[in-house]
This record gives sequence, C-alpha cells and structure tokens, in this order.
Amino acid sequence: MMDKQTHELVRKKLADVLGESKVLWRRADLAPYTKDTYRIRFEEEYKYFPDVVALPESTSDVQSIVKIASEHNVPIIPKGGGSCRTGMLVPIHGGIVLDTIKMNKVLEVSVPNLYVTVQTGITLKELEGQLSEHGLALNQEQGSFRMATVGGSISTSGFSRKHQKYGTIADRVMSLEVVLADGSVLRTGPKVLYTSTGYRLHQLFIGSEGTLGVITEATLRVEPLPEAKDALLAFYDDFWAANETAQRVMASCVTFTGGEAFGVEDATEYGAPAEKKGLFYIGFEGTRGEVDAQVDYVRRMVKETGGVLAGRDDTARFMDRYTIQWCGARALTGYEDPLTTYVPMERMREFYNKLYGEIMPRYDTGPLPGEKYSLDVGRYRIVAGRYHLPKGEKAWERYQMMLRDIAELATSLGGSISSCHGVGLAHRDNLDLEYSSVALDTMWAIKNALDPKNIMNPGKKLPPRRK
Amino acid sequence: MDAEIEEMNKVVEMCAFCRCGCCKDECPMYSEILEEAISPKGRNFMIRAILRGEVEPDERAIRIAYSCLLCKRDEQSCTAGLKNSEATEAFRRFLVENGFPLLREHGLMAKSLENYGNPWQESKAARKRWAKDLKAKKAVTGKTDTLFYVGCTFALDRTLQDGPRALARLMDMAGESYGLLLEDELCCGSTVKRIGDMKLFEKLRKENEKRLLETGAKRIVTACAGCYKTLKQDYPGLAKKVELLHSSEYLERLVKGGKLKPPKTMLKVTYHDPCHLGRHTSIYDPPRNILRAIPGLKLIEMKNSRELARCCGGGAGVKTAYPEISRKAAIKRLREAERTGAAVIVTSCPFCVQTLTAAAESVGSKTEVVELAVFLSRSLDAEDGGRQ
Repeated sequence: MMDKQTHELVRKKLADVLGESKVLWRRADLAPYTKDTYRIRFEEEYKYFPDVVALPESTSDVQSIVKIASEHNVPIIPKGGGSCRTGMLVPIHGGIVLDTIKMNKVLEVSVPNLYVTVQTGITLKELEGQLSEHGLALNQEQGSFRMATVGGSISTSGFSRKHQKYGTIADRVMSLEVVLADGSVLRTGPKVLYTSTGYRLHQLFIGSEGTLGVITEATLRVEPLPEAKDALLAFYDDFWAANETAQRVMASCVTFTGGEAFGVEDATEYGAPAEKKGLFYIGFEGTRGEVDAQVDYVRRMVKETGGVLAGRDDTARFMDRYTIQWCGARALTGYEDPLTTYVPMERMREFYNKLYGEIMPRYDTGPLPGEKYSLDVGRYRIVAGRYHLPKGEKAWERYQMMLRDIAELATSLGGSISSCHGVGLAHRDNLDLEYSSVALDTMWAIKNALDPKNIMNPGKKLPPRRK
Repeated sequence: MDAEIEEMNKVVEMCAFCRCGCCKDECPMYSEILEEAISPKGRNFMIRAILRGEVEPDERAIRIAYSCLLCKRDEQSCTAGLKNSEATEAFRRFLVENGFPLLREHGLMAKSLENYGNPWQESKAARKRWAKDLKAKKAVTGKTDTLFYVGCTFALDRTLQDGPRALARLMDMAGESYGLLLEDELCCGSTVKRIGDMKLFEKLRKENEKRLLETGAKRIVTACAGCYKTLKQDYPGLAKKVELLHSSEYLERLVKGGKLKPPKTMLKVTYHDPCHLGRHTSIYDPPRNILRAIPGLKLIEMKNSRELARCCGGGAGVKTAYPEISRKAAIKRLREAERTGAAVIVTSCPFCVQTLTAAAESVGSKTEVVELAVFLSRSLDAEDGGRQ
C-alpha cells in the first residue's frame, strides 16, 4: 500500500493527466476491485484494496499512468473484464488497478487482409458483433465471452470452444502494441500473420498476465463468416462411453470447430433418456456441402459407438447454454473451483482415478454432481471438472495443498497445470513442477529486462525469485 | 430483519460467491459509465462491504446506490437469477432507514410528494387540468365500475396529456363507462418506493388505497407502467380486491371484442417494452396484439425486445441523479429503434415517452415516439371507418 503522501501525490498526478472522473479512490469505488473470481484466503476478503483505479481511454493515457507508477515505484495491475479465475487481478501489494474497459474501440477492419485492430478493452462479444457487420468473425467463444476483453483473453491465453477450426486467441494475434514498464510503446511487429524477420515478440505477451507490460492494441486474424453452421448432440450411458466417440473423432480427419464430452447428472431437459449420464457435442462451420458431409461422418461415428442423437431443437438450445453455464454457476453451487488441467489422452483415466480416488478424499472433498468428468474435444485437450473446496479447520491451507497435489499429478503424467485460466496466485508456487529451474530463470531474466523495478502486476505468475 | 433486507443479504452473499460479472453484459448504466461499482456485481460488492463495516456509506457510496435503473435487464444475464434490482432497492431503503440523506435531487421530489401529493411540485388542482374539456367524469361511489387512474406524470406533464385524453376518447368511442378521481387522485408512491423512502411511501399508499377503494370500482385501469407495477406489486392485497389492468390489457380487450376497429394503415412501427411493464410485470403481448390488430401495420421488433429490451434510461431516479447517462441510454435505445426502419416507436409508459422523445429531439431523429393509446386513437382517425 502507498503511504498517505504518495497516495495523494499519485492521485493528483493521475487526475491531472486523465481528469478527475477517470481516477477512482474512494473505498466504495474500490471495493469491487479487491478481487477477481479466485478464492483468496477466506478471512482476507477485504485485505487487498487497490490504492487507486485509473480508467485510461488511449495508449498515451496508459503511458502517463505507467510513467507515474514507475516514478513512484508503485505496482500496476492491468485489468480487462475482471472474470479471471486465478487471482491475477488481486491487488496484493495495493497500487494502481489500470482498468482498460474504456479502451473499447475498433480501430481498423481490413476485409481484404482479414484482420482487425482493436483497443484491448473491447469485449469479445462486442467485437464479434461489430465484425459480423463486415461479414467477419474472430471466432473466440470462451465461457466468459460476454464480459472478457481481448486484452484479458490474450493475457491469460484464453480458451475458445471453436479452437479446433480457428485456434484460440494465441493463434489469432498478429501484432500487439504494448506499453512497457518505463512508459515506452512497443509495437511487436508488422500487422502480418507470417514473417520470418525479428523475434516473435507478440508471443511473449500471450499469457503474460500483465507482468511484462500493458497490452493496449491488438491486431487479430479474422475469418469470413461461414456459409453454414451445424452441431450434433448425443447421449451415452456414461462419460467413458461418450469419450469413445470423442477419441474416434479426434483420431479421424474430420474438420470441426470444437466439442466436448462430459458426464452429467440429468440431461432429460435436452431430450435424453433418463438413464443416460454421458454427453457429447460437436460443432461444424464451413460451406454448406462440407458441413453436411462432416455432420454425416460424425453422425455415423456416434451411432457406431452407441450414442443416441438429440433432436435439432434440443441441440440448438444446448449449444446456446454454453456461456450461460459459465455464468452464475458458483452462486448456485457455493464454494467450488474448476480444474483446467491438460492431460495426455492415454493417461486421462489414470488422472481421473487418482484425482477422485486418492487426492480429493485426502482433503475430504469431491466433484460437484454432474461435473466429475469433462474433456474438450480436439487439439486443446482440457481434462476438467469442478470440485467443492475443503471445509473446516485450515480449509484454505488444505485447498492449497490439494492444488499442489493435482499439479503434481498433471505434470507427472506429462500434462500442464492450467490450460487456459493462467497462473495468477492460484498456481504460482506450483510452477516449479512444470518448468525446470533453467526455464524459470529464463522467465525471470525476461521479466527483469522488461520490468526491472517489478511494478507490472508483481507477485503474480512467476514463483518468487530465488536468491 | 424483514424479508426484503434478508433477501438483499442473500443476493449480495451469493454474488460474492460467484463474481462472474455476467450482469454487466448489456447493463445500461455500466455500459455507459464503465466503472465496476456501477454494475450489479460491483454494487453488490459495495453493499456487502458496507454491511460488513469494511466501507463507509459515504456520499459516494450513496450516489452509487442510486446509480441503478432497477430495469432488471441483468436478471436475464444471471443464470442464478439473482434479484439484483430488488437488492439495490432494499439497500436504498436500508440507507434511508439508517438516517443517511437522500440525494439532493431526490429530496426535492420527496418534498413535493409530501406537500402536493405528486413529485412534480404542481398544485392538487393542476391534476384535473388535462380533463378540462371532457364531460364530467368524476367517479361516483357505487356507480363507477371502471376507475381510470391517470397517475402524476400523465396528468401533470403538459407534453404527455394527450395520453390520458386519448385513452378517455377510446373508452368513449368503445361505449365504456368510467370514472376519474381528478383533483382527488393521489400519487401511487412509486417514485419514493424506488428511492427507498418507505415511510413516505406507506403514507401515500394507505391514503391512495383508501381513495381507490372508496369509489367501489370493480376494476382500475392505468396507462402508466410505473403506477401499474406499484399498484400490482407494492399494494399488498389490492389486486385481490379489484381487477388491476394496464391500459394495454384493457385496450386489447376492446380491440379483440370489436369495440374499436382501426382502419388499414401502411405504417411501419416498432414497440419499446417499458421495464415496469415488461420485465417487472410480464406484459409483452397485449400492446403487440393491439398493434397487430391494425390492418396493414408492420410491427418490426428491435434487436433487443421483450425480456431483453434495453431500458430507456428514465427509471428509478436515475434521470434525476444522472441526467447525462440517462440521455445516452435513451439515445442508444433510439438508435436501436431507428435501425428497424420504423417511422414510429410505440410505447406504453409516460417516462419512456418522455425520455425517448427528448433523446429524439436532441439528436434530430425523424423517428416519432408515440404513446400506445395516442397511437391507437390516431389510427382510428386515419379513416372514418374506425368508429363503430
């Protein structure tokens, strides 16, 4: 936290460059910026207030904020839509939350070159809406689609359920503009998709969680809107039966946007027979002819693996549930957390068996009903689930120990701790399980080179520097 | 702890569990101001922090409490269906009951209600001016089956008085008998209820309910969406004693029953759902059915309509406390209407007419904003065939 004198000085300087209305400092305004959706230690819910929130509208505003922060050695926490799951946005050292949400303009739509340049505070939903007026799409559908921003999605290397055909945001970035910790503006390279000149600097900022600079502009690859869209939804006896179709689809040459297999408690609202507890869905986009052929191809696979296909209306309704499922889930279920581990396919059963048979019982917890098994189908193989947090004495410490055990399991099987939610505070101290000391030293060397004063979102992403 | 405050606590606690922020999607206040505290989630966080003693309910906190339109759009985005509007309304009440002052702008309104029985600082006698050219229509106990409850804004805003006149005319044309309270009509209390002044609301409610029931009317018809919501939901038991109808429901009956037969028109119109009529009281079809009954009329829906309709920006004291934001929200809704290509926005709430008309004038829009009864009355004039 800033001392009183610094606080007043920083506030005044920010107000001078941004205007009073874009600098928030009263506690009533700051309360919503004390946390993201990560479970910080329960008794510390109101411990971490930022000192100030700044609401820039332009790159030069961001430069001014960063220069003030650098001058006074004050932390900056860049923020997008605020839907982060891992504590990336918690102002653990106070400082300035730099909320990019007013930087929401589309700067250029290039139809012939299939790219769009935006300010990074625009939400994915707003951007898709504006692109569709040009007959284009970014095709990034993550659960938090309605409020996640382009900058937030890049900073966490966000997921998209259409990843198989269009990739995730990491595959969409062509060039970035970043305000570095000294206030200088970095353009990572030309607005082209392929180049063999220079280092690929834009890749460095994907998943960087605001620790290397503030991403102010992004040039993203876009695609023409498809002529046709379709989807299939099928029901199975259990998750493992649905997984059989998923594995066959992934091993085939069929093109699809993305899909998911999961275990459910009850899918009767989508027309499933009551005894069916496994579900598989898959989406297709392209020309009418190719989509029809792809649907036929996968429909055959579903039948061969014993799946029962849902009706068209039920399928459409189910596909619309995607972002809705993400929203509000915790309000309905209480204390819980999701897994987004990446596990090699041949080790998936072993992972789930150890997770639910050994690790969770150790902490007297378990999966939420109907959330035990979930696999994203395609190259982005998130093996997921949602679980209750440990309760009782030392609940938070046991929660951290459980996360460490899960991280150990995922990495020992050759996977990754977190495929799309980033690291933040949640996984920071477990990164040594996934990366060698040489890799972590390299990361710290990059961090030190770009942010020598350690003012960019300090205490997040990287485990504490070793002496 | 009473039920409303208990419910408020539940909402803010559940929101703090979840923190997804989906409520920000399409929130008319958040999308204009773009600050976390000016969103249902952010406001819930602030309320919770105040209740736990972590944040002082200072002047800024109070202003944030009054930054919500209570439009309920967020409930369409929240899977958990958290009643954020109700929590905010309860929190305003909590502030007032704990001695925190109303915003200055709202204080003036409350004062007017206390002194004149309406929020617009108009005399009691001014209330009957809109009806000066009508034949004597004063309600008579035992003889008035249908009471036309006009409401403060329709009765006192000169730019809106064509609304009650049109409804009175339509009733006459349909051969319906009705009575009015004229200068004895009292405010329903909606305005003070929304800003949390329950003491004044209760005073108004008791007196108003007494006057309404004394007429012995079997049904009460009102054209004001705010009055309708308040009489229906905030006057416990009134709906069991009398039939409460919004004018759109009443006119729908007259049109369906063949008592009003509008002639053919080639007009293209769109319909704006007032929050108090749509999301608050689930009346979506009656106004549309009236419009569809006009032969040849083309009703084009806006991108966001019915449950998803954007608020006009005129509700819950926001227009008074945040006039510039209210204006921007209204312009956004107007633009949405313009994109349909309709010549007229028909709506059924005096505040929506007021707010959208001001927005249309401020940007020089060619789209006209017309209240439902006025529109129907005009349609009947288009040719003589409208009369029975």
